[in-house]
Amino acid sequence: MISETRIMLEFADDPAQKTLETYRKNGGYQALEKALKEMKPGEVTEEVLKSGLRGRGGAGFPCGRKWQFVPKTDKPKYLAINADESEPGTCKDRQIMELDPHQLIEGALLTCYAIGAETAYIYVRGEYPHSIGALENAIEEARAAGIVGKKILGTKFRCDVWVHSGAGAYICGEETALLTSLEGNRGYPRLRPPFPAVEGLWGCPTVINNVETIACVTHIIKRGGDWFAGLGCEGSTGTRLFCVSGHVQKPGVYEFECGKFTLRELLEDFCGGTLSGRPIKGVMPGGSSMPVLLPEELDCQFDIDSVAKTGSSLGSGAIMVFDDSVSILDAALNVAEFYSHESCGQCTPCREGSDWVRKILKKFKDGNGTQRDWDVLWSVTDNMDGTTICALAEALVWPTQSYLKKYEAEFKAAMKSEAGATA
Amino acid sequence: MSGSDTSGNGNGTVKITIDGQETEVPAGINIVEAGRYAGTEIPHYCYHPRLSVAGNCRICLVEVEGVPKLQIGCNTAVREGMVIYTKNDRVSRGRAGVMEFLLVNHPLDCTICDQAGECKLQDYAVDHGDGVARTDFDRLNKPKNVSWGDKVVFDSERCILCTRCVRFLDEVAGTDEVSIDHRGENAALIVTGDGQLTSPYQMNIIDICPVGALTSRDFRFKSRLWFMRFTDTVCTSCARGCNVTLGSRDDKILRMVPRDNPDVNDSWMCDHGRLHYEFANDDSRLATSTAGGKTVPHQVAAQKAAELLKKAGGENTLCVASPFMTTEELFALKGVCDALGVKDRYFLKPVGEADDMLVHPEKCPNARGAALAGFAEAPDAWPETEYGALLYVEPREGAALPDEVTARCKQTVVFSLQKGKGDVRLPLTTWIEKDGTFISAGDRIQKIAKGTTFDPTMLTEAALLYRMHHALDEGFETPVTAAQAFARWADENESTNGLRWKDLGRFGVSMETAEAAV
Amino acid sequence: MSAKAAREGKFSKELHATIEDLMTRYPQKKAALIPAMHLIQKEREGWFSRETIRDTAELFAVSDAHVQGVVGFYDMFHADPVGRHVVRLCKTLSCMLRGADALKDHICEKYDVEPGGTTDDGTFTFKRFECLGHCTTAPMMLVDEEKYEELTPSKIDAVLGGLS
Repeated sequence: MISETRIMLEFADDPAQKTLETYRKNGGYQALEKALKEMKPGEVTEEVLKSGLRGRGGAGFPCGRKWQFVPKTDKPKYLAINADESEPGTCKDRQIMELDPHQLIEGALLTCYAIGAETAYIYVRGEYPHSIGALENAIEEARAAGIVGKKILGTKFRCDVWVHSGAGAYICGEETALLTSLEGNRGYPRLRPPFPAVEGLWGCPTVINNVETIACVTHIIKRGGDWFAGLGCEGSTGTRLFCVSGHVQKPGVYEFECGKFTLRELLEDFCGGTLSGRPIKGVMPGGSSMPVLLPEELDCQFDIDSVAKTGSSLGSGAIMVFDDSVSILDAALNVAEFYSHESCGQCTPCREGSDWVRKILKKFKDGNGTQRDWDVLWSVTDNMDGTTICALAEALVWPTQSYLKKYEAEFKAAMKSEAGATA
Repeated sequence: MSGSDTSGNGNGTVKITIDGQETEVPAGINIVEAGRYAGTEIPHYCYHPRLSVAGNCRICLVEVEGVPKLQIGCNTAVREGMVIYTKNDRVSRGRAGVMEFLLVNHPLDCTICDQAGECKLQDYAVDHGDGVARTDFDRLNKPKNVSWGDKVVFDSERCILCTRCVRFLDEVAGTDEVSIDHRGENAALIVTGDGQLTSPYQMNIIDICPVGALTSRDFRFKSRLWFMRFTDTVCTSCARGCNVTLGSRDDKILRMVPRDNPDVNDSWMCDHGRLHYEFANDDSRLATSTAGGKTVPHQVAAQKAAELLKKAGGENTLCVASPFMTTEELFALKGVCDALGVKDRYFLKPVGEADDMLVHPEKCPNARGAALAGFAEAPDAWPETEYGALLYVEPREGAALPDEVTARCKQTVVFSLQKGKGDVRLPLTTWIEKDGTFISAGDRIQKIAKGTTFDPTMLTEAALLYRMHHALDEGFETPVTAAQAFARWADENESTNGLRWKDLGRFGVSMETAEAAV
Repeated sequence: MSAKAAREGKFSKELHATIEDLMTRYPQKKAALIPAMHLIQKEREGWFSRETIRDTAELFAVSDAHVQGVVGFYDMFHADPVGRHVVRLCKTLSCMLRGADALKDHICEKYDVEPGGTTDDGTFTFKRFECLGHCTTAPMMLVDEEKYEELTPSKIDAVLGGLS
């Protein structure tokens, strides 16, 4: 039987954990004290490298390596924390921000210390007013206690942490769009090169990390990189937050060590199976932008590399479960509506293609899809794949093509015969 | 980014292979530019060499060996040893896909669209598209025929959101007055404030719009491009000498657009210059010559003028030249003055406002040429001398000889665009009706070329002046071609001695360079 | 507030001070635009009129078109007038799986309002919103800044019925 390993959520059930007093009582800001007084910035990075921490936003890039891309320069450096949690199915960062915000602030300060930054911005999606409020309260408390601002904990280190509110645009979770938005613009993703670590906010070196990633940094520095690396499995060290939603008995945000269980165990044992007791029809294992897994594909170990071998991805750790009452045509259209609504409109293939895909899927849902539409759908999604600045087009293409491939019979059954098409 | 990885062999070039052909190109340039060196056109909409890279249209996809995804040529710098494919199946497939996306919602407007004939959607659809439409949905409707003020008309359905106009107004014109509203397929351009553009350079966005989304209120619906004649020349509204291509039909000027010259105007020109050509189309212009109030053949008028001036005598003659004349015409006028022995030689220089981009305070194209031909800038206060004769070439606009000066001259020979007084009155041509050169404020000698004929019976000022000169001096050899006239002038000046018409090329040469070269 | 202040093209003193303070957090004041626009929208009856756009642009020294483009890009900013409250019902996958479509129908029928529209009495504007990030407690809605999770028709009625 699988069970949670709670590190980030250890004190999440205590409503007082939001306060500085309780956070400190529970060992908070010890990591920061240790780092500022006993470690050099490079040693903090070394510890994070040693921990094997990979980014928790979806791409899984090694965190310490990302920090090392920051060039030695006199320019100011910035940390931008990605709290624009918008991938459908994902609501884990919100737990950290609303239930235990100080661990994020502590991680932000540690990261700034490591990369030589004096300012961190936490870009929180505008639809999270409670997260914004919780963080702002926590930062104020920390500032009053000399933990944020000048001469932190009596050392020479100075660092500001600011909450920055977004205003409702999925694309701003894309790291370069986040920067463009933070500078006060429409949230367009940027061309790479230059990479943000070299030219990010206001042309200065900028590290962008997910909320959960930064929260992990706090625990890594507190308890050591080796300790963290000993949790989970190779390639997916530490613990991870998973959001289970959809047709399960026990939806929720849970913290697990990766590689210690299969997706089936998680859904059937831990989450109690489907709500209705009907069979599972499909599972989105890493947010709505990843390919769907069929019931027979649920026996893979649940870690980044094992899920990647199924052709899907652990993504943002959002698991969405469909039982067999779901029409895949509805699900596919819902996903396409989301991504076409959220396309920023910058690149031609995504701007035009996502809406085109949505229209064809609507035809299928309305019972008007044809063999020709089926063929066009494949080819349009192929043409969107890999031809844009950011990955939003792929975020539509991958799940859509997985539905077409894995539920072909359902699409074909819903098709109108060509002969019956318009004269 | 021209870091060390792009620097190649150290003399500023790198060797790359494009479609199997090895080419040496400057280090640090992007693949679209590198394609030009290799003679391969890589299609592009949003990329413009004089604007920042946006990378949004995605039509310039190429394959770079060792890189898994297709790359956009506009944002990929060449590296030593880079192997690039611009035409293989994968690239063709990618481009055809992008082409299709661009056309999915594009209106079927070509039959009424001014851009037809110079539209990159048309061109690339033929070169890179599949030639079929695979959608049976209604195309998106967006605002059409939207007024962006008195110069530019916008059609949102035709717009491909390449943002060239947005970037031009922000980065070059500095007015930052166009932005994008909404998101995804609903995205559309908007103009700030009351929706009317304000930049005095706004019409450049019409030229750089790769499709028919931005059209010129002045030019729209006047003519299909393929019925027009195009002439490379320069703008005459100020001394900047912006290089332009002038479009005409049936001997009427229909439009002027800037022609890229990195030493003068890059790809731009001001709206005032662009729209200032109506004087040439004015049917009421003077086309005949008169002597003693009677219409006479032009040659006869020239002959009479020469006789009149000779009778008055050079010492007793005031000559006033125009800085709208070509360098060769000014030189011809100098020849007449020399033959007569005229001492008082001036030219009138119109002046006005300037800006920090292109607009120059001298409102004429060839004040330098006039000065080089020995004409002095007209004094603020004219001396109260009585003259026996006046030889006056009127400036096209912006300056005129005070009436009291004319009144102090007993007899007058006047070259003019308009009907009026004068013992001998001869018609002026405009700059588009002849070949020649102007010397810009930047001391650049640039060619103008004949594109239209106002009245086929007219002679150019040069021809009339040569005839006058010949009447005064039978030994005068009349240049037959513009090239001969130029060579005659060039060899008279120390700094241009030996410079020839063909040396001027499409972009002209600076006096300094000419001096160094000859 | 203060149709009067709006007419005069001024924000309230308090708002002005708050925005000035926000601006100090960034090396360029334009970065405070989006956080400030939330506050501005609140003070200006919940939407961005042409006048409000102009005032905002002036305060940030950017073009009107830039502000309008920002309004049009972000779903939480409104380019048209809204009711006294804004109800955002999540429509994305997890909520759909848990019955969000039926809840939408319930709201439309019971309160006689279309998605994107405002009730006749101006009480609330109803928006179907893409993923609001409460997937494990789906279906959910935000009413202004308050969230309601694990919704049922009767829970919705309890909330919407109490709006004034």
